Amino acid sequence: MNAAGIGVDAGSTVVKACAVTAAGSRIWQHVELTEPRLEEQARRIAALAREQAGAAPLVATGYGRKLVAGAERAITEITCHARGVFAELGSGGTVVDIGGQDSKVISVGADGSVRNFAMNDKCAAGTGRFLEVTAARLRLAVEEIGAMALAAAEEVPISSTCAVFAESEIVSLIARGAALEAIVRGLHRSLVARLASLVRSLGIVEPVALSGGVARNPAIAAFLAEALGCEVKLPEAPQLMGAYGAALLALD
Amino acid sequence: MAPISIPGRREAIEDQRAAGGGLAAVFPVHNPRALLRSFGLLPVEVWGPPSARGDRAAAHLQAYTCSLVRCGLSFVLAGGLDRADCIVVPHACDSLQGLGSLLLDFVKPSPPVLPYYLPRGERDVDRAYLTAEIESLAERLARIAGRELDRAELHARLDREEQADRAAAALIDDRRRLGLSNRRLYELLRSREYLPAERFCALADSALEARGEMEAAGVPVLLSGLVPEPASVLDALDAAGACVVADDMACAGRRIYRACAFDDPLERQAARLLSGPPDSTRDCSMGARVAHLCELAERSGARGVIFFDVKFCEPELFYLPRLQAGLREAGLACLACEVDLADALPDQILTRLEAFVEMLS
Repeated sequence: MNAAGIGVDAGSTVVKACAVTAAGSRIWQHVELTEPRLEEQARRIAALAREQAGAAPLVATGYGRKLVAGAERAITEITCHARGVFAELGSGGTVVDIGGQDSKVISVGADGSVRNFAMNDKCAAGTGRFLEVTAARLRLAVEEIGAMALAAAEEVPISSTCAVFAESEIVSLIARGAALEAIVRGLHRSLVARLASLVRSLGIVEPVALSGGVARNPAIAAFLAEALGCEVKLPEAPQLMGAYGAALLALD
Repeated sequence: MAPISIPGRREAIEDQRAAGGGLAAVFPVHNPRALLRSFGLLPVEVWGPPSARGDRAAAHLQAYTCSLVRCGLSFVLAGGLDRADCIVVPHACDSLQGLGSLLLDFVKPSPPVLPYYLPRGERDVDRAYLTAEIESLAERLARIAGRELDRAELHARLDREEQADRAAAALIDDRRRLGLSNRRLYELLRSREYLPAERFCALADSALEARGEMEAAGVPVLLSGLVPEPASVLDALDAAGACVVADDMACAGRRIYRACAFDDPLERQAARLLSGPPDSTRDCSMGARVAHLCELAERSGARGVIFFDVKFCEPELFYLPRLQAGLREAGLACLACEVDLADALPDQILTRLEAFVEMLS
């Protein structure tokens, strides 16, 4: 493979890597869970990318972006997700990136540049971590809760947006005999309410697209579309958008 | 270019003591520095300090009180201000007024506590009220210093403060040619919080004399908010490639007052404190604040405004949403960051700052 650009997204939960041709097509990708020794892991993944996709300029992004040895540049995930989603969908608009540690809403101009952005505060509310913590309390796999939420016939409102308080609210709901599916649906609604308010703080500019690993949860896109009153688009590989954007920026 | 040596707080305090002078610990934001100097007291400002353990104050304060007041009270409780000859607490906001009451009624530190009220407008009646407040403060200072107010001396001290204002303004205006990092620029500007005006002017002159022809590169930004603490935020701006070219911080640019001419030095001191740029602690109109920030950005070439505020700072946060909306309407990008003075700078703030600079690049 002859990669022209490589992107490594060292995220808080998952490390993603991607290589693109000079024309911007994805030709290689790699995903693995983030390890505690992120610096070593990033070095290994960068070497793997160059071995399998070819030597090319590398741009690092994600919360561990400064730990990726050999990167020509470190660029924030805000700029990278905007670039990745813009290339994938071919238009500006609003990108909602739900990561493991934080969520961002990015307003993307018609030329693919970042126009404005908003980010959640130092808190797990509105992030993948919220779902992880609450799913663990219910002893459910995080991969199955989206479908469960969509299939639920009932919904229990979860008033807490804080992951810690939501966990204790779940304990109370279980004690009161609430159905598991209804709780799961309520949890999704709670997370989406937080995201929707972040989107509204920036102003809804359509099309709205989701990126980040949590976008693979089908209930998030469905509930967000409902909350915003507009269609929510999904790129083919939402989890890869940061790494893809970084690889595209490596071409510049 | 020889690096400028900026004395620290401790050094300034020791020099003042060695010269037989007294110390006034003063809380933010607007303080009658010239009045304090005219009584032989060096005003040393207390912005937290960020290093103070805020938990000492927990028994006295609600959890939603800002860290500036929390750290400040903890510092008093730890005996940090015991060497001061007095503690001046202006009514900049409800939390600082509450701090003044707590100190007077419950904590009762060994130095006398001198609260004073700041009117919110700039009308004749506001100036008259503040003149009376300053006069009352002068009477209390006279008892502490054991000498009467010397009106000629106060005029002379006011002249020096006005000179220091001009020096601070010149530093910010010529910031691009000073060859200073963002952190170093603020170390220099903020040395005014504890240095006598004449020493600050000498430092500023050295920095201005050493300026080069080349203008520093970097994405030009305007910094607004309360205080750039933790100071690592300035390193983060340096690392992200941003250059602070204009300032609207409460600890710096908002205290560059207009020169005021009054025969009565107390009235001149009062007028001075009401003559600063539009500011959140004086209930200035939203329109005035937006216009001021737009003018600063236009004059300096700043491409965006970064608001760096302390969590739970009501005066700042009440303005922020509409202030940002007004600036965006005027075509200026904005970023708001909130921190706790006692905490390390969170990674999420670093990402926001970097992304903002990337966006402006």
